[in-house]
Amino acid sequence: MKFVGLVLKSARRSKRRTALTILSVALAVFLFSALRAVLQGFDAVSAASSAQRLVTIRSTSMIFSMPTSHGEAIRSTAGVQDVTWANWFGGIYKDPKNFFGQFAVEPESYLRMYPEILLSDEEKQAFLADRTGCIVGDGLAKKYGFKIGDRIVLQPGIPTYGTQDYPFTIRGIYRAGSSAVDNQSMMFHWKYADERSIVKGEVGWYVTRVADPDRAVQVANAIDQKFANSPYETKTDTEQAFSAQFASMLGNLNVLLGSVALAVVLTTLFVAGNTMAMSVRERTTEIAVMRTLGFPAATIFMLVVGEGVLVAVVGGAIGGVLARLVINAEALGLAGGFIPAFGVSNSNVGVGLGLSLIIGLLAAVIPATMASRLKIVDALRRVA
Amino acid sequence: MGLIANYNLRSMIVRKGTAAMTAMGIAMVVAVFVMTMAIAQGFRGALVASGSNENAILLRKGATSETVSAVLKPQLPLIESMPQVARTADGHALASPELVVIISLPRASDGHPANVPLRGVGPRAFEVRNTLQFVEGRRFTPGTREINVGKQAVARFTGLTLGSDVKFGGVAWKVVGIFTADDASFESEVWGDVDLMMPAFQRNGYQSVTVKLVDPSAFDSFQAAVGNDPRLDLKPNRERDYYEGQSETTGTLIRVFAIFVTAILSIGAVFGAVNTMYAAVAYRTREIGTLRALGFSRLRIVTAFLAESVALALVGGVVGCIIALPVHGLSTGAMNMTSFSELAFKFRITPALLAGGLLFSAVMGAVGGLLPALRAARIPVARALREI
Repeated sequence: MKFVGLVLKSARRSKRRTALTILSVALAVFLFSALRAVLQGFDAVSAASSAQRLVTIRSTSMIFSMPTSHGEAIRSTAGVQDVTWANWFGGIYKDPKNFFGQFAVEPESYLRMYPEILLSDEEKQAFLADRTGCIVGDGLAKKYGFKIGDRIVLQPGIPTYGTQDYPFTIRGIYRAGSSAVDNQSMMFHWKYADERSIVKGEVGWYVTRVADPDRAVQVANAIDQKFANSPYETKTDTEQAFSAQFASMLGNLNVLLGSVALAVVLTTLFVAGNTMAMSVRERTTEIAVMRTLGFPAATIFMLVVGEGVLVAVVGGAIGGVLARLVINAEALGLAGGFIPAFGVSNSNVGVGLGLSLIIGLLAAVIPATMASRLKIVDALRRVA
Repeated sequence: MGLIANYNLRSMIVRKGTAAMTAMGIAMVVAVFVMTMAIAQGFRGALVASGSNENAILLRKGATSETVSAVLKPQLPLIESMPQVARTADGHALASPELVVIISLPRASDGHPANVPLRGVGPRAFEVRNTLQFVEGRRFTPGTREINVGKQAVARFTGLTLGSDVKFGGVAWKVVGIFTADDASFESEVWGDVDLMMPAFQRNGYQSVTVKLVDPSAFDSFQAAVGNDPRLDLKPNRERDYYEGQSETTGTLIRVFAIFVTAILSIGAVFGAVNTMYAAVAYRTREIGTLRALGFSRLRIVTAFLAESVALALVGGVVGCIIALPVHGLSTGAMNMTSFSELAFKFRITPALLAGGLLFSAVMGAVGGLLPALRAARIPVARALREI
């Protein structure tokens, strides 16, 4: 510990250079934490998805509907506790650019199925009682400044829902109890959309709760078996498998973001390593004098490594804290639609700090080795 | 200039370790820039290549994409009879009524189901889309359960090879031909007879009609003719504009990501260049003093050091482009937000993109070298010469 002062002293030798290096490490850790947070956002959705809930869609694809009679058939399958259903509405709020999820749901059973949709009792009752009522997530409410009692109008985007505009009254603003529920969506009565639809009684997907999550796969197979060879064949999966599939359609995020993160680390390594090498080269004479005074080679090695680590970790701390403050779902408002809410967590900051430590170590190893192996006589003779 | 350029070049070689590290930092930034932009370009390219200037696509008024559009069956003959629509030698209008639905097929790489667009087309679709070429097999025969598959779709999903049976819409369909389409998005699709697709998916109308115009300039009069017919609640779009619009959401997302990442990364690399150049100036204080004493002007010193920094960065830029080049032509997939299905495309590195990468590296070099170069020029001659 007695050498801390010496390390600090040499870090201050060229203030500008140290500051620039600290800032480059800070930027790298900032970027790294942000990328990690995005990936974790996607993973969190899969992780929070319930293994107890099954999603049944038409085997051809999600955008084809099934008749309401499927609901009763699913309910009578052994091991099924509860059933609800929903449709994708795909309406336009003022401008097609204002994209958010709109779901026509069977309100009572839907709220029962998703206890993660947190709604006060009064709001819930008001929503259930109003046929043209809707509930919106707090994220969405914030984005468009929605308040309870507001009237909003959606223009149908899918021809099946007719051509007339749909007015709604906001009866509740819900919070999301877990990542399985998106707080940027809107839900309203399935009946309201069905009344105006050109084809009646169409359901986009069914959600089923099974009594025993260990038997989820068997129940899913039993449901699909019921509709095999009917004109409306189905495909049932656990919610977990379903959201994993959805994320994989966005492309191979892991590889893309991972390779960018690698490039970030390499760039910083080059910058930091270069600085350390420069700083050692400048001090060649100084180091030779220290060696003459009796400092062992190991101590010189540790001094240089200590300086590298110090500079990198200070940078990492700045970058991590900055990322923690700037990159969070509320400050950015980027989430919504297909992008899950994401934010830099304390553990992201921890990983970033660890990363900066490694950068500091790696960047300092070669210059430190150079410094500790200096031949005193040569070094003293050299004119810098 | 010759002397000073030579001097800068040689001092760069003397400090090759530091110079190489700085150049590599810049190389990584340029590589990331070129690769991420190659994704954005490839995605956009695949969709833009789908549209031809000679074609027009008709959608329901207000519809932003095929999936939310509807064209009624009786409207087709009205469109086909318009004089702006090109015809075959035997008098058939070059118009293709189409319906795009999405089917789910297991992806070859991981076996997970993915959304694949299935396009029902009219019998003359291959004359309307004349970039399509068969690499294997033949066209499907209208009125039969035969399908053609794009080359990218064959590679990305299992069970689409020539001769195999694919089950969707309750029945089996036979793959009789595989086509390419100049890397256009059609290569990710499955094509079949629209009149058989409709009953298979319980649809009773088309989604869009694509026509080949007699001449690209006939578009305006075609648009006016459609607008004047009260029986047609449709809006014609130039096919190229339409597909360009389709690429916007995802394309912009990728581009914003690319710019965000490279911007932050480049600041780090510029800091590296600043450090290196300051050190370069500091080492050579005496030499700079000598040059000034010999009569080289301040401006010459500034330009010399700036040039050194830019040259160093350009070396990095070239290395970065070389690192990025191998990804060119690799195919990958991403979800097309507007059609909700997977679109396969190739990383596309164009000469313009490479030039952009080099320019970017030069800018990083100039920004990083500016302050150190000014410092070099301001060094007082007498003091510089006295320095050891």
